[in-house]
Amino acid sequence: MARDWQPEFEPLVDEHQSMVFSLAMRMTGDRGLAEEIAQDVFLELDRHMNKIESPQHACFWLRRVTMSRSADALRRRRVRGVDLWVEIEEDHGVRPEERSSPLGARLEGLLATLPEPQRAALVLRYQEDLSPEEIAATLDAPLATVKSHLQRGLKLLRAKAACHLREYIRGA
Amino acid sequence: MEPESIDDFENELRQSLERRPAPPGFKRRLIERRSGRRTQQQRGHAVLWQRLAASVALACVLGGGLAWRHQQEQRQGEAARQQVLTALRVTSHALNKVNERLTSHGRADQE
Repeated sequence: MARDWQPEFEPLVDEHQSMVFSLAMRMTGDRGLAEEIAQDVFLELDRHMNKIESPQHACFWLRRVTMSRSADALRRRRVRGVDLWVEIEEDHGVRPEERSSPLGARLEGLLATLPEPQRAALVLRYQEDLSPEEIAATLDAPLATVKSHLQRGLKLLRAKAACHLREYIRGA
Repeated sequence: MEPESIDDFENELRQSLERRPAPPGFKRRLIERRSGRRTQQQRGHAVLWQRLAASVALACVLGGGLAWRHQQEQRQGEAARQQVLTALRVTSHALNKVNERLTSHGRADQE
């Protein structure tokens, strides 16, 4: 069957590199590892180009593979016993123009301390603005599980924020 | 916490989780890796074809050698068979002569 849309590698990289890198970065907390994951994801996309049916499919595919690759990388690192959150928490290796507000950076740091499934759900919800249904499809998880991760993750994050970011709570 | 502040919190979270730009040179490094991988793949394919061709050539040489050897053995066998037949013919001829002589001697003795 002929398709109207033909995927091209470089425009897809231009369009999605920031999304893929940010997802990997927020899941692993390591800029170097995130770049490596992002490159691997795009190289895999290049190999599977003939299976990509539409721009939406490309975006979905990239999110899904990035999350899966990041989870794999975290699992490998966990086996080796490496703490991945040094960079995000200490803000190393981030260019000044990339740094968010102090409060944003602290929230991002707190997000990094959440359990991996909750972090994944929250990153997809608040970075990518996905609905729980879309998150469930991306993570290949049941909808109820995703909703539970979102609720618990947000609750835990708010509790942590209440402890660590008192100035924010006072200001709210 | 009030629902309003929950919204504020979620908004702040959304803002703090805005996408970050990929590191400078990301695309260039990716394209380099991609072309490097393609070159490697092409080299890999060339090596595979070379190995395949070498294997086919080797199989042909071995097969040809075996066929030639088999043919040689058949020829030698045929020559040996012919020699045996000739020897049998000669022996048969000699035995016939001996038999004729013995028969002629037998007749002379009876007379």
